[in-house]
Amino acid sequence: MVAAGVEIVEIMISDEALMAEFQGGSQEAFEELFARYRGPLYGFFRRRLRGDQRADDLTQETFLAVIRASARYEPRALVRTYLYAIAMNLLAAERRKLFRDSPPGKIAPEPASHDAPDAVLWIRQALERLDEPEREILMLREYEQLSYAEIAELMKLPVNAVRSRLFRSRMALKGYLEPERKTADTAATGVAESVKQARAESEAI
Amino acid sequence: MNKIMHPIEPEELMAYVEGELTAVRANAAAAHLVECEECQGLIADLRTVSQSLQAWKVEAPKTAPSAAIATALTEHRPASQNVAPGRRIWREVLGKRWPAVALAGAVAAILLVVISAPPLQRRGSNYAYSTVGQADTVDSAVVRAPAPAPPAAAAAPGNGLDKLRQSAKLQSPARRESKAWLQNQSPEEHDLSATAPMIIRTADLSLIAKEFDKARAQLEAILKRHRGYVGELKVNDSTGSGRTLTATLRVSSDQLGALLTEVKMLGRVDSESQSGQDVTSQYVDLQARLSNARNTEQRLIDLLRNRTGKLSDVLEVEQELDQVRGQVEQMEAERKNMANQVSFATLNVTIAEDYKAQLQVVPPSTSTRLSNAAVEGYRSMADGVVSLLLFLLSTGPSLLLWGAILFFPARMVWKRVRSSLAS
Repeated sequence: MVAAGVEIVEIMISDEALMAEFQGGSQEAFEELFARYRGPLYGFFRRRLRGDQRADDLTQETFLAVIRASARYEPRALVRTYLYAIAMNLLAAERRKLFRDSPPGKIAPEPASHDAPDAVLWIRQALERLDEPEREILMLREYEQLSYAEIAELMKLPVNAVRSRLFRSRMALKGYLEPERKTADTAATGVAESVKQARAESEAI
Repeated sequence: MNKIMHPIEPEELMAYVEGELTAVRANAAAAHLVECEECQGLIADLRTVSQSLQAWKVEAPKTAPSAAIATALTEHRPASQNVAPGRRIWREVLGKRWPAVALAGAVAAILLVVISAPPLQRRGSNYAYSTVGQADTVDSAVVRAPAPAPPAAAAAPGNGLDKLRQSAKLQSPARRESKAWLQNQSPEEHDLSATAPMIIRTADLSLIAKEFDKARAQLEAILKRHRGYVGELKVNDSTGSGRTLTATLRVSSDQLGALLTEVKMLGRVDSESQSGQDVTSQYVDLQARLSNARNTEQRLIDLLRNRTGKLSDVLEVEQELDQVRGQVEQMEAERKNMANQVSFATLNVTIAEDYKAQLQVVPPSTSTRLSNAAVEGYRSMADGVVSLLLFLLSTGPSLLLWGAILFFPARMVWKRVRSSLAS
């Protein structure tokens, strides 16, 4: 149909407006929020936990928490940040539970799937080599598409720290994904060194 | 390597590429990036890393909202005073049984559609036959054509999302996904539409109609049926030629094809053209810029909220915030305008009347001719008298003067002539 390409156009109602409507009692607004964030939140849990069922359960729990806490919600932050903050709390609780229930030393790597392609396995292994906060920052940026400010709010870090760690994690990941290349002579380190050198020169002057 | 070569930190370059750098630093980063191949290589490496990470895709969630969510939603009425009185009464009447009532309503609506489908189909076939048949019956067939059936889901009570859709008359990927959730469709099907192009559609149509008034009335009926509106309409009625209607019609893009088909039946098509402008990249670019501007705005707000400093610094941030807000509003308006243009197609239609000049050759009667001749004779006599009077009045005084002057010399000459003749 000729109109297939234009049906997607929409004057989108903002998440914050939907949340306000939901606080006012509108179930439709909640259904809209659910439709918007069901997939992204499921992806958030799916990439960080083992098993699709558990990811689905936690996605549902996130929305359940939104419903229960809707009276206390204040529009100080974006709804998206609010949702991911709840999701991160649930993820942390889930990890604590897994750690408690599993015998010491037998905790398997979280994201594991037998039918994953080699490229995905390679990426996951590379990500697991990163430090936990840096990996989280990188994943929030790459997969959840959050802004630096949103990540900073979630991780309770300054924005500049988020930027630095994100850069570091990307450069480290580049080395992990291409082990044959020596990271020492990468363009990044060259640029960084040159900036440091320039600073030293200017200070000396 | 020195500072002149790399005045920008590599992480700032990364932030610039992601639209996360302040405007001042972004200009410097852009200028440097143009001329520094080493930094271009760095950006390329970062992009490669991001692209590699995108290979890890996650399947779509399978399940609908859990029973716990449905229960919590049912119990969630924090602001019942905001609920419309009519809806409150329904809720009080239905209580917690509203899902069952909604289900029963949906079943009833489906049954109604199934029962009423055969007559509708029969009527549709009549319509097709009429359009193929004589041209004179086409107009009535168009008027009798069945109106588009409303979405079945809209008939189900309690389906608020569909009410929202009806009010917006548009659909978004997110709403389509929510619809998929309601209809147990796979979201992947709808994700494909997210990559569909955005096209501003425009059509021009020129018609020649035998019955102008009828065509105009039917044009308005057709437009109403397709939920369109008139952007502009002009009717030119000059003597000696047929009337002309020029109108700019706006209609939902998915209705343009049907609207064109029906409008063409109003007369003989003189010319027709259609065009489509793909604005997908412009729209995506605009959205990205809007997102960046909003991020900047949020950062500035955070800065004002969390940081303390000199008054001049605060004022500077305020000024920057005002500027960014202006940009956001401008881009938002631009985005809405573009979305409106895409969602509503434009049809420029011109309907000219099939004008037939009438030659009236009726010979006048004898009495009329005699009467006309008498009137003409009287008018000529009166004109002659008036003309003579006018001549005398205008030249009489001069003639009298010259007569008085020339009378005595003429008389003397005359007497001499007579005396000479007598002698």
